[in-house]
Amino acid sequence: MLDIKNLHVAVGGKEILKGLTLSIKSGEVHAVMGPNGSGKSTLAYLLAGRAGYEITQGSVTYRGEDLNTLAPEERAAKGLFLAMQYPVEIPGVTTLTFLKTALNAQHRARGEKELDAMSVLKFVRKKAAALNVSEDMLKRALNVGFSGGEKKRLEILQMALFEPQLAVLDETDSGLDIDALKLVAEGVNALRSPTRAMLVITHYQRLLNYIVPDRIHVLAHGKIVAEGGKELAHELEAKGYEHIAGKAA
Amino acid sequence: MNAPVPNIFADAMRTDTRPLPQWLGRRRADAAERLRAQGVPHRRVEEWKYTDLKTALEPANAAIAATAQWSIANVPAGVTLFDLEDLSAAPEWVRAHFGKAVAGEAMAAASLALAHGGFALHVPRNTCVGEVRANFSSDGHVRALIVLEEGAELTLIENQSADGTFRNTGIEIVVGANARLTHVRSAEASPKAVQVADVAVRVARDGAYRAHLFNGGAELSRLTLRMTLKDMGASAELSGVTVLGGQLHGDVTTHVYHAAGETRSVQLFKHVAGGKSRAVYQGKITVARGADKSDSRQTAKALLLGERAEADLKPELEIFADDVKCAHGAAVGDLDADSLFYLRARGIPENEARNMLLRAFLREAVDGIENDAMRDTFWQSVEDALPRAMVNAL
Repeated sequence: MLDIKNLHVAVGGKEILKGLTLSIKSGEVHAVMGPNGSGKSTLAYLLAGRAGYEITQGSVTYRGEDLNTLAPEERAAKGLFLAMQYPVEIPGVTTLTFLKTALNAQHRARGEKELDAMSVLKFVRKKAAALNVSEDMLKRALNVGFSGGEKKRLEILQMALFEPQLAVLDETDSGLDIDALKLVAEGVNALRSPTRAMLVITHYQRLLNYIVPDRIHVLAHGKIVAEGGKELAHELEAKGYEHIAGKAA
Repeated sequence: MNAPVPNIFADAMRTDTRPLPQWLGRRRADAAERLRAQGVPHRRVEEWKYTDLKTALEPANAAIAATAQWSIANVPAGVTLFDLEDLSAAPEWVRAHFGKAVAGEAMAAASLALAHGGFALHVPRNTCVGEVRANFSSDGHVRALIVLEEGAELTLIENQSADGTFRNTGIEIVVGANARLTHVRSAEASPKAVQVADVAVRVARDGAYRAHLFNGGAELSRLTLRMTLKDMGASAELSGVTVLGGQLHGDVTTHVYHAAGETRSVQLFKHVAGGKSRAVYQGKITVARGADKSDSRQTAKALLLGERAEADLKPELEIFADDVKCAHGAAVGDLDADSLFYLRARGIPENEARNMLLRAFLREAVDGIENDAMRDTFWQSVEDALPRAMVNAL
């Protein structure tokens, strides 16, 4: 599904990722853990295609295609989804209108039939109920005045609607209390499937109690410094990043 | 006394020998004097820095002495319509207010001195009527007076047609105590015309003036909106959208004068300029001595869609009172990069995402229109103007 080989990425001329290698297969859930400044968000934004992130060396292959040649909207249409750490507030665009526009843009790009307003509404309502996304939220301007939890729930709702092949979750746990975290994790777990891969990026082990990964990669200073199964998260929690990163170095 | 400044309007006035009713004589003479002393506004006059009217109007043609046309589609029951062409028969409410609010404004003085027509509307005390639709067209000067007595309510829908080569509209609005006027104004894009308008509003105790202004621009276009909140509790709420493309120019200049305490003003102006167009917003707020606890907010934002488009936003505060709240902000820029990325990352192609954000930017200044049908009509004017602004922009 996703093959990252010796990836070096610079932002504003400064190298942030320094030879990252990572591979995820269909049906797998991987976690990337790391301290602040290790390059986690850079990896997330690079995968989604944000401007200003330059690959200086190495490659990212997504379902056999060089990801670097695709615009952000093409990646989305091809099934890549990034749940963002800081979802953007857009006044003047209602949430439902945005969901409909995005959903139909992806359908159009894949040559699928577009949905009419009524079908979109039904589809959204069905998925929204499970994530406790209220009718009121759908009518309001996108993310405007939403609480931290509401924003994250809306990100997961989008993931449920777009049914991506590869979902990247960037710090989805940040700013959530335990109830909100459980709700979001349930939403994510409901989407686990043999045909879908997930990359969960997080600073804390907490989220991984609820979304249990098949494999954990520890990122420090732009490189993977340790890898292992789900038990690695507990070791990190107990001993800290410096211990693991230091051992690797 | 300064020596008279030679100008095209003063020349036009010399040939105007019609008789005037006595009550108007002094006001018209003052206007004529003002015009003679001040001349036609040009870019070296601070308030007209971005709008060089003098250059645009020279050499003079017949239009600058003509009287423009007006029409009123409907007069709701309870409203009196008076034709200003025959001022000798003016009722008391016209005599009391007409031509009183021109001081200091050369173009208001020009329309008072030179217009041979126009209309006046009167809404009696505690009378709430629906809407009146007024249209201004063709060349020349024209005047209008709208008087709302205490507790009256009216919606004025004003349209400025795209025809003609020069039009100067002078409107006086008197909002009585507890009265409420909603003014929805649309100026169609007029690439071949010079369009000037001066709107002078006085608001009495607890009265409210609300304006929603669409400006499609002109070869040269200037709207001066002067509001005096003269008694406690008076308010003015303005929202405006300017959409320009090609070589169009659009200048909206406002001056809110908080004359009394506990008065309130809110302004939200959004501009989109494409091609080689130029959008101007000058917003001056004066809080007079003693107008304590006044509250004034002002926001002006512009998006430039073309490298050769220009926006000049100039907020200005003059505060002589204590304990006032004044907040103002102005920003010129491009669409927000984070928002654009967010939409694209969800599969929305770049052009479509830009379109969405552009409309969302403008929408904020339209959503305040309470009436659904009026809001839709207003938005349609915005939609109609956008393609011109977006040529080569994407």
